[in-house]
Amino acid sequence: MSPDFLNTIEVIVNGLMTGVMYSLVALGFVLIFKASGIFNYAQGVMALFAALTLVGFQTGQVPFAHLINAVFGSDYHHWSSGINNFAAIVLTVLVMIVFAYLVERLVLRHLINQPPIILFMATIGLAFFLEGLGDLMWGADIKVLDIGLPSGGSLWWEEVTRAWAADNSRYFGMYIDVLDVWASGIAVALVAALTLFSQYTRTGRALRAVADDHQAALTVGISLRVIWVIVWSIAGMVALVAGIMWGAKSGVQFSLSLIALKALPVLILGGFTSIPGAIIGGLIIGVGEKLFEFTIGPLIGGATENWFAYVLALIFLMFRPQGLFGERIIERV
Amino acid sequence: MTAGDILLSVKNISLSFGGVQALSDISGDIRSGEIRAIIGPNGAGKSSMLNVINGFYHPQQGEVWFCGEKRGALKPFEIARQGIARTFQNIALFKGMSTLDNIMTGRITRMRANLFQQALWKGKAEREEIEHRERVEHIIDFLEIQSIRKTPVGKLPYGLQKRVELGRALAADAKLLLLDEPMAGMNLEEKEDMCRFIIDVNAQFGATIALIEHDMGVVMDLADRVMVLDYGRKIADDVPEVVRNDQTVIDAYLGVVHETADDSNAAVES
Repeated sequence: MSPDFLNTIEVIVNGLMTGVMYSLVALGFVLIFKASGIFNYAQGVMALFAALTLVGFQTGQVPFAHLINAVFGSDYHHWSSGINNFAAIVLTVLVMIVFAYLVERLVLRHLINQPPIILFMATIGLAFFLEGLGDLMWGADIKVLDIGLPSGGSLWWEEVTRAWAADNSRYFGMYIDVLDVWASGIAVALVAALTLFSQYTRTGRALRAVADDHQAALTVGISLRVIWVIVWSIAGMVALVAGIMWGAKSGVQFSLSLIALKALPVLILGGFTSIPGAIIGGLIIGVGEKLFEFTIGPLIGGATENWFAYVLALIFLMFRPQGLFGERIIERV
Repeated sequence: MTAGDILLSVKNISLSFGGVQALSDISGDIRSGEIRAIIGPNGAGKSSMLNVINGFYHPQQGEVWFCGEKRGALKPFEIARQGIARTFQNIALFKGMSTLDNIMTGRITRMRANLFQQALWKGKAEREEIEHRERVEHIIDFLEIQSIRKTPVGKLPYGLQKRVELGRALAADAKLLLLDEPMAGMNLEEKEDMCRFIIDVNAQFGATIALIEHDMGVVMDLADRVMVLDYGRKIADDVPEVVRNDQTVIDAYLGVVHETADDSNAAVES
């Protein structure tokens, strides 16, 4: 195989793995949008908050340490040297469930039957609030997140792929970050688990029912509020996984919440109401932007990854506004 | 509760939307085991009545008694859990889900496994799933919809959708089934099928049924007792034979010649 061909393969594989990460963020949006018709602007901040909380538990930070110290003149920072990863993840999941409950109790419950734009504005408010809360609880410094997943380039894969090229072709093998492989594997497992849960359990069926028709769901005895808490909890867990993966790659910092913006083109491609759409949309954007950068990028000065996804989304909006898998928009007059 | 006891009664129900009086001072009851029809011209308040019974609307005045107890202002899903299932005039199925899944949702109120058991699909969750699936298969057999078990209901023809919706309501093993125009928009053959199912549901499952229907022939054949509404008022409530010959009912349906005879003459001429 020629080195050019192998390079292209490498770009595609890396694009797919980046795409999985985009899909993961988009998935959180789709879950909430399907169940309640709310575009949850806070999804990205939820990923940030979950990652901050996880690191906080891991390292044994005292929550609200700055606030407590400022008020009482004390000097607390850590209550222990930290707890193990598993316990920290369980605790973080609990925090996200409590968060979901509070969102329903304090925000959604009061906005039932309001137009979508009001709910959207509420989630913008929620995003700012949560960002501030994360700052206040755990501090604004950039944190290292390490839950023990292997990372770095795979030497084994480099050896394997080097043998594919001709001996004298000066090809040195493909680079694949092991962390990306793990992240993809975990994301796939998460989606598979969610799919099984929604197909074969009572609550899963209730989730699908609510996503399909609110009125009908009420008449078969489903409480919308309970379902909303469950959906926001699941979205919180998806946010936690996304937060762990992105945080492990680039550190837990407040710009993490901006990954939500990258989910927007994914949603426009895949359709806001389709879980397979979110996954495939993410993959298309991941592969598309890497390939574009690799092939066209050098001709026009590079840095195309910053805008490629948005331009692609714009083209989609012109020709297929419902996305690849979204429900077709039919206007009857 | 034995057949013939009062299952549900409404007492002096009044409901208005702004200036529109949808129901005024309606009383009546539904007895266990009977097929009870509510009829009336368009806009008479029939669907409003059903919506009051299943909790979509809360009347400004009046009381609803169910199983001998006065009911508070409950939400529709709480009322569903008490044992009132319903279908809709315009069909409210989960269109993206299969026939089987739709009917399975009817059993949601009867499943008890907690989230944790469900997540692991262990213990009670697994047992329940199998047990309820069996029950649902029984209903599917009964309604003769085996062949569309896995089809998303959005793709089914209208008549079959109506049947699936009946199946979902039936799956709840409800004490009271509310059917809002179960035969609207059907052809003759489909109507006959639906009639047969309603009679069988009543006879075999022992379900108490309250239904709204426009087809007079169907109503008079099916119902044990008929309540007639007109402009939100009850104008008759009796067995079909009596209602059929009631002059106020005939007037309400055919239109009555009022004192302004000139107007009606003009209408005839034009």
